[in-house]
Order: sequence, then structure tokens, then C-alpha cells
Amino acid sequence: MNNERLTAFTRQAGTILATLLGLLILTFCIGRLMPVDPVRAIVGEEADQATYNMVAERIGANLPLYQQFFRYVNDLAHGDFGTSIRTGQPVINDILHVMPATIELATFAIIVGAGLGIPLGILAAVRRNRPVDHIIRFLTLIGHSMPIFWTGMIGLIIFYAALDLVGGGGRLSDYYIGLVPETTGFLLIDAIIAGDWEVFRDAVNHLLLPASILGYSSMAYITRMTRSFMLDQLNQEYVTTARVKGLSKGRTIWHHAFANIRVQLVTIVALAYGSLLEGAVLIETVFSWPGFGQYITNNMLIGDMNAVMTCVLLVGIIFIALNLLSDALYKIFDPRTR
Amino acid sequence: MKPLLRIVGPVLLGSTLLFQPAHAETPPNMLVVGFSMTNILTLDPAAITGKETVQVLTNIYDNLVALDAVNRAQVDPQLAESWTIADDNGSITFKLSKGATFASGNPVTSADVVWSFKRLMKLNLAQASFLKTHGFSAANADASFTAPDDGTVVIKLPKKVDPQIIVQTLGIVGPGSILDMKAVMEHDKSGDMGAAWLTNNSAGSGPFTLGQWQSNERVTLEQNPKYWGEKPAMRRIMMRHLAESQSQRLMLEKGDIDIAFSMSAADLKALESSKDVKIQTNGGSGFYYLAVSMKDEKFQKPKVREALRYLIDYQGLNDSVLPYFGKLRDRPVPAGIFGALPNAGYKLDVAKAKALLAEAGYPNGFPTTLRAISDVPFMSLATAIQATLAQAGIKAEIVTGSGDQIYGAMRERKYELVVGRGGGGQLPHPDSNFRAIVYNPNNADEAKLTNFQGWRTSFYDEKINKMIDDALVEGNKDKQIKEYQDIQTYYAEMVPAIQPFSEVVDSVGFRADIKGLELNPSWSTQLRTVKKER
Repeated sequence: MNNERLTAFTRQAGTILATLLGLLILTFCIGRLMPVDPVRAIVGEEADQATYNMVAERIGANLPLYQQFFRYVNDLAHGDFGTSIRTGQPVINDILHVMPATIELATFAIIVGAGLGIPLGILAAVRRNRPVDHIIRFLTLIGHSMPIFWTGMIGLIIFYAALDLVGGGGRLSDYYIGLVPETTGFLLIDAIIAGDWEVFRDAVNHLLLPASILGYSSMAYITRMTRSFMLDQLNQEYVTTARVKGLSKGRTIWHHAFANIRVQLVTIVALAYGSLLEGAVLIETVFSWPGFGQYITNNMLIGDMNAVMTCVLLVGIIFIALNLLSDALYKIFDPRTR
Repeated sequence: MKPLLRIVGPVLLGSTLLFQPAHAETPPNMLVVGFSMTNILTLDPAAITGKETVQVLTNIYDNLVALDAVNRAQVDPQLAESWTIADDNGSITFKLSKGATFASGNPVTSADVVWSFKRLMKLNLAQASFLKTHGFSAANADASFTAPDDGTVVIKLPKKVDPQIIVQTLGIVGPGSILDMKAVMEHDKSGDMGAAWLTNNSAGSGPFTLGQWQSNERVTLEQNPKYWGEKPAMRRIMMRHLAESQSQRLMLEKGDIDIAFSMSAADLKALESSKDVKIQTNGGSGFYYLAVSMKDEKFQKPKVREALRYLIDYQGLNDSVLPYFGKLRDRPVPAGIFGALPNAGYKLDVAKAKALLAEAGYPNGFPTTLRAISDVPFMSLATAIQATLAQAGIKAEIVTGSGDQIYGAMRERKYELVVGRGGGGQLPHPDSNFRAIVYNPNNADEAKLTNFQGWRTSFYDEKINKMIDDALVEGNKDKQIKEYQDIQTYYAEMVPAIQPFSEVVDSVGFRADIKGLELNPSWSTQLRTVKKER
């Protein structure tokens, strides 16, 4: 049994490493095929060839591609993620700075998305083809099909500019920037640690709109999937049997039908959360939110490969971790997988 | 549903009221400025690229001299109280102002000035190009920059040029920025002359110091308590990264920022009617132009190039695509610069263009490609030019891409037509324009003179090279002006590879209670004079 576990663990670790290595090779190739020149980004349009060559040598851009790649992987193996061209800082420091902003945004968004999406999906399935179902499907269709960039801008115009209900761009108003020490990087937590409730209030005020818009987009997806899963279950014979045997509607839905879709929902919510962590770039741009999505995109645009590769590696690790978490939750929710 | 509404309703209402914004305007002693900071990669004056970084550093570092905000041809004293040019035009002697100090408290001495210039040349980074063009190099830096005493700096010119252009060069942020030698060298790492430290630290003598730079988030400038000049009204300047023009506009309208530096024409126009916001426009640097590659045999024919000249709707482009960002100009020297001739007055003339094409052997036009950055306003310019080219039978397929793709193709000399922006102009001297637009000392592919657009277009004319070189060393001002006028006339006659149709101007929006804002050309606006009247 122990041997079996060890073999399974080794196999899984091998798969993870192979996945990450494949991801790195693919990203490196795409990054190098892209028509961006990191040296030109550093030296500018006016620099002459001598300056260009000097900087190319300094950042290793003059080396053959395979050497650049092996140099990066070798450094990585020694725990060195490299230095960013854009900031001149170790990439890992940059990521530790931008990641909390995105985690804060994504976590609030997924709470909105899953917190509303799952009950609405169940409600729509239970009231199938009734007005409530139509309304929910219409709302989710809008959330799914509207470009998030546009939704963000309209949200700003209505809730910030016209109604003055929420804050504008950035994580804080100018009055509060720098007032609480950056202990964890999570502004809400840092404000609580510092006991500064004005800053906390302002941070929430700035988080509400972008998180709600991102959450609405996630909600649309989660609602539709929940509805679909739930309809499958409601059409099963065991549901009819339960009702015939006198079980209440609520108990049948929540204790039996919902119990059977929990495993699928865990996967859906985990993947949606993963996407929010790496893919909120448009909302981050509209709301000037200094997060991970903007960081990876801006670095990709100037060919800052140390930063891009480390970000991709991190995204890969996040998705693998979320998948492992899903697997662990499967075992809790579905005894057959134990 | 009802129980759900009973809970959710009050929670939503309560949270909205609880978290409502507390402040509707910026703090009275803090200026909040918004623009896109995507291009800020370092804050080391020797290594910067892009106008956004210039806007930051112009408030941190002083130069020996400053280019006047209103009269572009005028050079004002800054760290140097006076300067004299040797009779043989071979050297310039600067006398430093007394009492100037760096933010560290160290006095500004001639040793700091000389070290700053030597550092620039020895690091040989982006900003060194400005002086390298005039013969300065790492090898001759020790001989070129000397300090006979604490208050005097002598710059010996390594080759014969107009000393005025060197004085002007020392007035721009980057090559002219003076650094605190002691403060920087305390952070020297493996002989990098403090380059790593200066990426996100400052060591200047300007009115503000760098508080914090968070890439793509914000730059905070704090008032320099040891500033030797008139104390700025603002205690702090908060520069915020606002990539989206519409976000800048909304925040400016709401009063959450005081100045928006990078708004689109559409947003600037929308703000024209606002009583709370004002718009200011001032000269920029460079031109919007249509460039051809002389590698292409069609464009080697002067008649074809001349035909293109008459297939640009100069007035239409400036009126419809370039308000706030361009001003009609069809000469390669900006209006107002000494020696600049009035516009030649080219107009869209399809019949004339057709006749010229027929003379060149293309009565029915030809297919070609037109490259443009996929960004505002280049795509609109390309589309408009594509339409006017089509009227003479030239079927231009638009190729779009990033700056690297479009200007990269120019640097590789692999393109046919490009709608671009450039052509010098950081200095108020015609030489900077001619050298950027048409000068090409060596047309060989191997020369790789990618910093000369003349080389990029494969345009080579020995006569104009000589005219540009001669004008630069002409000691008699009147004669020099005449020579630059002659170059413009010759430029028009020979129909070179780059045809400007607009000179770049910059426009910013700012709150009406902001006073003392004087927009400098090329994003070098000094914010120390700005105050709020509320």
C-alpha cells in the first residue's frame, strides 16, 4: 500500500514537473516568436547600434535562444527568478507586490460569482421555463456576452461618475495612499492590522465596483453551469422516487440533488477562480488596478521574458494547486473517489 | 425569493452608504496627475526613454540651463548663472550659481556636473546619443568635461559644431541632468556608477525628490526641503498610472485628479464645454509623416514621391484626425524655430498626382503596403491616407502592429510606406530635425544607423548631408539662418523620403482651480509653479 502511494505520488510529481517544463518551453518560444524587442524597449528609438549591442549583451539577448532558455532554467533551479527589465527589481519581489491586489480582487469576485451564481442556478433549474428562470437566463446571458472592458467603463460612468457611490481608479483615494504600512500587501488586512478604519472603508469602496463586475461575469458562467447540472439531477428517477416517498421539495433539492452536483461545482468554481487570478487584465486596466494581469501583459508587450516566464510558471502552479484542491474536495464530497 | 430580498436589500443599501466616498477633491497641498506610465522603465536620467519619464524627472533634477517654456529658442539659467562661448567656438564655460544644494544637503559643485556628464558617456545608455552625435564619447569624456574650480565647468567641444546646440542639449532632461556624485557613488555596485540604485531612487537638486515609484501604479514626489530655489506650493505630487483615457477624463471631471496628461482627442473635446476643466496645448516634438522606403524601386523615382506629396489631405488630416495632437506643418522644421520657413502650402491634388504617376510610368497606380501602429491616431491617419492614395490608383494595403513591428520594419529597412511620428525636435534647433529626418552619413545596410531616419528610409544625398554639416558650424547667425532656409528649399525640391504633414503638439486637461501651469514642450513641464486656488 505504501509502495502504491509512493508510486502514485512520484507519478503525480513527475506529471506536474513535466507540465511546468512544457509550459516554460511553450511560453519561451511564443515570447521569442513575438515581434517585440526587449533591448529596443530599454534603449529607446534614438539609441545607436553600439548602445543597442551593449545592452543586448548585458541582458543576454545576444545569446542563441537555446542558451537563453537554459540559462533561465538553470537560474530557476537555483531559486533565482531573474530581474525584471521594467522595474529593475527581482521578479519575485514584483510578483509579491502585485499578487495581493489581484487576490483581493479575485477573491471578492468569486464570492460574488459563486455566492449568487449557485443559488440562482438552482433556482432557475427548479423553476425551469417559468418567468424567474427566463429572467435569470437573460441576466446571465448579458453577463456572459458583454465585453468586460465595456461593462467596467459603463460601471464607472454610472456608479462612480454619476451616482458617486463608489471610488474611481486605483486601490485607494489619494488622501489615504501610504497611510498604512504594507505588512501583507492585502490592503484590507493591512488596514485592519493598522486599525485604520478610514483606509479600510476607502479600500472596500474602491474594491466594490471592479470586484462586482468581475463577479457578475463569473456569476453568469457559474449560474448557467449550475442550472445545467441541476436540471440533469432533477430529471433523475431518484428525485421522483424521493418526492413520491413524501420527502419535501427543499430536502430533495438540497440534500440529494445538490449533493450530487457539488463535485462538478467545485471544479467550475476553482477554474473560475484561477481564471480571475490570471485573467483580470481588462478590468485591472479600466480601474487602474495594479495587479498581476496588468503586470504580465505589460511585460509581455516589451518582451521582459524573466517576468513573463515567472508569471506563467506561477499561473501554472496556481491551476495545478486548484486542481489538486478540487481532487481533495472530490474525496470529501464523493466517497466513491476515496 | 422574499426572505432572500429581505436580507440582501438592507445589506446592499447599508454597505453602499457605509462605504460611500468621503472626499470629492484632491488634497489642497497635493497635486494629483494622471497619465499612462507603461513606458517608464527606469528613473536613471542616463537611461530613460520616453516622454513620460521626462515628465517625472524634470521635477527632480536640475540642469545647468533650462529651455524656456514659452519662447522655445530661449535658454534660461538654472544651475549655471551664466555661460560664455569661446571666440573660436571650441569650448563653453559655465559659472555655477552659488548656494545650490542637492536634496541630500551636499552643495552642487562643478565636480558633480563634470561627473554627471562623464557618467552619461561612460555608461553609454539611451541618453548618451544626444552628445555622441556631436562627437562626445567615453574615450574623450575626461578631456571634454573639466572643472578648473568648484564653481566653473568647461566643456571642450570634440568636433566643430554650433555651441548653441550643445547648450540646448544640456537643457533637456537626461543628457543635461545633474546628479549628486557623493549620494550616487555611495550606492555604486560593481562599478555601475549607481545605475541599479538610480532605477528607483533619486539624487537631484530639483524642487522635488522621488518618494516612491511603484511600476505601473504611481510615482510619488515629495517636496525637497533643501531646495535652493523658490519653494514649490505643493508638498507632494502624486503621479498615477491611468492607462485609459476615459478613466482620466472621469477622474478629472470628478476632481479626483488635478491634471490629465494623456487623454485622447475625443475625451479632450468632450471636456471643452466643462466649466470645471481647462485644456492647454503647447508645442511637442517631431512630426507626423508619410515615409517611403527608397529600397523599393518605385519610390526611388522622384516623380512617384512627388505624387505622394499631392495625395495627402493636409488640412483634412489636421482638422479631423489630429486636433489637440498636431498642427499643420509640411516642412521638416517646426514653426517658431529659428530659420523655419512658412509652410510650402501643399494640398491634396489628385489630378496633379495622377499626372506625375503617369510621367513616372504608373498611369494606373500600383499596389503597395502602408504600415501604421495599431493605435490612435495612426490607424485613422493610415485609413485617410489609404483613401486619398486610392484616388490616384495606388492600392495600399494597411499593415498594422505594435511600435516594434512598425518601426522595427523601418529599422530593418523592410517596408514600403509608413505613417509615423518622429523627426527630432527635442532641441529648438533645426539641426536636430534635419539630422533625425534626412541626414544619412552612410547608406550601407551594414552601417545599421538605425537612429537616423534618413538611413531607415535608405535616402542618401551627399549634398544635403554637407549642407546640414556646414550649417551647424556656421558661426554667423544670419548666415546660419539663411543656410537652414536653403536646406528646407532644397529638401522641398528634391522630394525626399519623408513628407511631414503635421507637427506634434501636446494637450493636457486640468482642473480650473489649478493655477501657474505652464506646459513645456515635450512633457518637461515644471510643476513647482503650480498651486491650487480654492
